[in-house]
Amino acid sequence: MKKELRFTVNGQPYELYIKPKTILVEVLRAHLGLTGTKRGCDSSSCGACTVILNGMAVKSCSVLALQANGGEVLTVEGLAKGNELHPLQKAFLDHGAFQCGFCTSGMLMSSKALLDENPNPTKEQIKEGIDGNICRCTGYNSIIRALTGVVKGEYKEEK
Amino acid sequence: MSKYSVIGKRVHRVDGPEKVTGSAKYTFDIVLHNMLYGKILRSPYPHARIVNIDTSQAERLIGVKAVVTGKDTLGRKQSTWRRFPELCDEEILCRTKVRYIGDPVAAVAAIDEDTAEEALDLIEVEYELLPAVFDPMEAIKEEAPQIHEGVELNINVTRHIEWGDVDEAFKQCDYIREDHFKCSSQAHVCMETHCAVASFGYDSKLTIWTSTQSSYYIQALVADMLGLREGDVRVIKPHTGGGFGSKFELDSAQFCASLLSMKLCQPVKIVLSREEEFTATKRRTPMYYSVKLGAKKDGTMLAKEVRVITEGGAYTGMGATALYLTGFFSSFPYKYPNYRYDGYRAYTNTAPASAMRGFGAPQSTFVGESQIDMLAEDLGIDPIEIRRKNGMTPDYEVPGQAHIQSCGLHQCLDKIDEHIKERGELPPNRGIGVSAYGFMSGGIFNWFDTPYAFSAAIVRINIDGKVDLFTGACDIGQGSDTTLSMICAEELGVHLDDIRIHAADTGICPADLGAWGSRETLMNGNAVKMAAADAKRQLLEFAAAKLGANIVYDMDIKDQWVHMVDRPERGLSYFDIVKDTIRGRDGETIIGRGHYTPHRKGMISPAYSFGVQAAEVEVDTETGKYKLINVTTAHESGTVINPVGIEGQLEGAVMMAGGYGFCEDQPMDEGKILNPSIADYKLIRSLDMPETKILEVDTYEPEGPFGAKEAGEGLTNPTAGAIGNAVYKAVGVRINDLPITPEKVLKALKEKKQQAE
Amino acid sequence: MIRDFEYLTPKTLEEALTLLDKYGDECKVIAGGQSLLILMKQGLVAPEYLIDIKGITELNYIKSDAKEGLRIGALTPHRAIEKSPVVRNGFAVLAEMENRLASIQTRNWGTIGGNLCHGDPAGDPAPVLIALNANLKMASLKGERTTAIEDFFLDYFETALEPGELLTEIQVPVVPPHTGTVYIKFNVIESDLATVGVAVSITLGSSEGICQDVRIALGAAASTPVRAKQAEAVLRGKKITDNLLREAGQIASTEAEPISDIYASEEYRRELVKVLVKRVSREALARAKQA
Ligand SMILES: Cc1cc2nc3c(=O)[nH]c(=O)nc-3n(C[C@H](O)[C@H](O)[C@H](O)COP(=O)(O)OP(=O)(O)OC[C@H]3O[C@@H](n4cnc5c(N)ncnc54)[C@H](O)[C@@H]3O)c2cc1C
Ligand code: FES
Ligand code: FES
Repeated sequence: MKKELRFTVNGQPYELYIKPKTILVEVLRAHLGLTGTKRGCDSSSCGACTVILNGMAVKSCSVLALQANGGEVLTVEGLAKGNELHPLQKAFLDHGAFQCGFCTSGMLMSSKALLDENPNPTKEQIKEGIDGNICRCTGYNSIIRALTGVVKGEYKEEK
Repeated sequence: MSKYSVIGKRVHRVDGPEKVTGSAKYTFDIVLHNMLYGKILRSPYPHARIVNIDTSQAERLIGVKAVVTGKDTLGRKQSTWRRFPELCDEEILCRTKVRYIGDPVAAVAAIDEDTAEEALDLIEVEYELLPAVFDPMEAIKEEAPQIHEGVELNINVTRHIEWGDVDEAFKQCDYIREDHFKCSSQAHVCMETHCAVASFGYDSKLTIWTSTQSSYYIQALVADMLGLREGDVRVIKPHTGGGFGSKFELDSAQFCASLLSMKLCQPVKIVLSREEEFTATKRRTPMYYSVKLGAKKDGTMLAKEVRVITEGGAYTGMGATALYLTGFFSSFPYKYPNYRYDGYRAYTNTAPASAMRGFGAPQSTFVGESQIDMLAEDLGIDPIEIRRKNGMTPDYEVPGQAHIQSCGLHQCLDKIDEHIKERGELPPNRGIGVSAYGFMSGGIFNWFDTPYAFSAAIVRINIDGKVDLFTGACDIGQGSDTTLSMICAEELGVHLDDIRIHAADTGICPADLGAWGSRETLMNGNAVKMAAADAKRQLLEFAAAKLGANIVYDMDIKDQWVHMVDRPERGLSYFDIVKDTIRGRDGETIIGRGHYTPHRKGMISPAYSFGVQAAEVEVDTETGKYKLINVTTAHESGTVINPVGIEGQLEGAVMMAGGYGFCEDQPMDEGKILNPSIADYKLIRSLDMPETKILEVDTYEPEGPFGAKEAGEGLTNPTAGAIGNAVYKAVGVRINDLPITPEKVLKALKEKKQQAE
Repeated sequence: MIRDFEYLTPKTLEEALTLLDKYGDECKVIAGGQSLLILMKQGLVAPEYLIDIKGITELNYIKSDAKEGLRIGALTPHRAIEKSPVVRNGFAVLAEMENRLASIQTRNWGTIGGNLCHGDPAGDPAPVLIALNANLKMASLKGERTTAIEDFFLDYFETALEPGELLTEIQVPVVPPHTGTVYIKFNVIESDLATVGVAVSITLGSSEGICQDVRIALGAAASTPVRAKQAEAVLRGKKITDNLLREAGQIASTEAEPISDIYASEEYRRELVKVLVKRVSREALARAKQA
């Protein structure tokens, strides 16, 4: 009954056998031990589980893992290069764009997807880009400031 | 050199690198070898007698390891109000009776979550339904069903606060008004739901990893409920995904996981689902307010009389504190010479109502700040002016209750006044509402009956100068690990990265009451400062000897430089002194100890912070919908230790308290919460979030570490009132029951129009 | 908890229809799963066989030509419609509607077909497509059929899809000249489902701005998305004035059959219909004048 799932996560290929009902977030967390991706609601409403699948932000609590078959997933663990943080991560640190941190992985992935698609978003577009993600701690404005900092080029990616 | 080298600086949070890389481990992420997963069966009825529970089928399901019910417990009841046995009313696993929809009746441990959930369906509970009561006004009637044995009229707690001669004062008033308000419930919606991993070993010791605001409370309560010695229970708080008042009582995940683990000698993990989080954890206390307010023509407020009845839900929880604090803070932040409060907390067959950020103060502030605006209008006085006239000032004594030392309320009023003037003439249907507030920096209450100091800290200096800071403080996201590390570094004269904090692990940290009542910065900060000073003293003793300093000189450490205060160039490296001290003391570790319990500071809190907020809204008069445009806050919290932290607290509070005013609510039908999901429970998202602005006001609190006081919960107090006042300014309608929804605004607009016709 | 199921991944429409025919009641189709998985987690839907059609690329397209109008494959994700230059140029209202539908994450994975087949009366695409006079194409082993979208919705979460049938295409006819279409959804939280949604399409005749045709569609105002035909009649053939707009709103609010729920009372929803029909029509008129 189990099915094969072949996909890459953060550039690493995986082959797993899973029950078809397994949700992507569970594969990432329980099977691969990538617990940076969180689950806040399990019903597609909070965004804590956001990962990038084939270049698009998705809520990994609402995607069947087998639908990622053959695909490429990027999780928060794939953002930093070795010990060099991603510009978004640096900006989040500088701007205090997180408190409890439970929404942070999802916020970062939504932010990344936004900037990948549009490196020069307006403030309104930034707000839209993270609107699928709830943060109960920060009130969003520090996150918006962090993204604005990245957009302004204050955090260059090290080559 | 500036006065401080660490505090007041914009630093990265000490937990930052882990949190932005996803490597921070939360209880939710913990997996232990041989671990089982637990699920909890909950009552579908608001009030029923448990006739029988048959677990045999569930036990036979392959993969199920244990099923427990109330029969497997010691039958004890608990609450954080340990000092008052009659308020310890919650068994957690009900033995004979369930009192709300969601009350736990059984728990299962199985090899995975799906199996555990399947097993729940196989447990057969026979209930005998009892009449239920949901409305507190109904609950206190003779004919209402009794929810707890021996509790007459379902009155759980009453509170009376009084000073002056209220009746006489009303006679002297030129103007009196009486109003009624309803403050709704609110869910905490921590992004990490309540969860625990409990591991009881063959050595008879229990370790619990849990998402909590107080590892010490959980340790003590679990030990008591399970008949263990406190020292045999170790509670560790990993990174925690929010608390907001929901996580300092013993919860069903912690208790059931522990009970199951004890039975099996295997680790058990329980994570509450989001639906359980909404329906079966505690929530903000709904309150019904009746307030009589009397003033002189010139706006001097002479007397206030407040009567409150709260919907308590099925158990006491921290609801007793909410009842008290809503009464005390109903007098805030004004100097009422005569004041009377009577509060009643009624048991109802609804989810227990308890503490949420601000306790009862967001409710009392909404009520008080709405009413003072009404009064000001009636008397033809400017809203800022009336607040100036009556507002608290430094060194004010709340008669018989509290002593207020630092207070920057008037500076805050000035700043907000300026802000409003800057905004100038507003377009039609726009309005700015103000709301003034104050809050405590930790409570001086010991209902928990702890024999320990309220806060304590230990500082250990290693041979290489690295400092280990041990504290029971719980960082649930508010940033206490960072703030306390900053205090420690400042006092010790080292850099922030010289500190490594170990917090909220009862196995290695001194007891601390935890993160509630906005107590960490002041109380734990004082303990940490004292511990660091103690360690520093030990270093300075050596340094003085080594430098051969004249006895009249003061020594200190700053920026890792141990020196004479008056001749800072004369000194030694901190690192060298550390080595010398350890060597010179026969290798004895340098350990500094500190503790803090407020003494002789009145009945409420050692210090209070103040602020004024202005909310600007624009109302669509055809639909009643309004947009939150801007929320500007002038806040004073003494010396700012961690500016990034304060900004975050403030903006986060606007989201949460703005939600309380604007959209958050928990409608019920016969005790059933109708919106138990994030899709249905409306939360402010980024597109809805107003601009936020902070206007800084400097104060210094003598009781606080480096002059600091709270900046956490108090910030949730003003917003609902500011929004209500802003809607009134914009379109002239006043909504007295929260939340102020577009539908209510439109209805009021229509009524107003009809009256005008 | 999701019940176990057999997972099938047809690669073509033909294969999918065959499987659907074979497993009948025992199977369920999943596209993006954004709505379905929630129901499955709650145990409300528990199929033996889950037929995953998301990989059927032949149903993921956006085409447009001057004669036929716009054709959208049922498996096209919301986000593709929102971003499509073709849609933005000729059918801007669709892109605008998509931009306010759920969150980006849901739009990336959820499909327009899944949205329509889910049959939520509060869904955003349906009123817009009704205003645009769209048709839906369905296929089964027995063949294909096409129906006007307004006939597709039968009741809450119930559509005209027959057993064995899949929705394959959304067909939007060429928009006549001098037409303006606008959609506004009312909600308390910006990106939320509609408390009430209103779409209006107005076509002006060549002579002096007479309203030649008008279509008014309401979302979350009845058990299905509905047309407010009596309100349309108020405007059709007339030169639109503010008074007429108000009257149309008034009539639409009596035509609607909303319910009371935790988000809004029936009365409030009617009020919203009244105001929104007026406002949206006014905006549609302005657009029509520019078109
Ligand atoms: C948090 C959240 C917010 C949302 N907000 C909005 C909103 O604001 N506005 C709005 O309009 N919608 C909203 N939605 C609904 C969303 O648009 C739909 O969930 C999504 O578009 C469904 O597409 P899907 O491909 O994921 O469908 P699925 O979930 O895969 O399927 C939905 C249903 O349609 C059936 N189905 C799917 N495709 C076909 C087909 N081609 N033929 C026959 N049957 C089929 C499935 O069997 C299932 O019954 C929201 C959903 C979520 C989870
Ligand atoms: S856990 Fe996926 S959206 Fe909340
Ligand atoms: S940081 Fe706590 S939810 Fe965002």
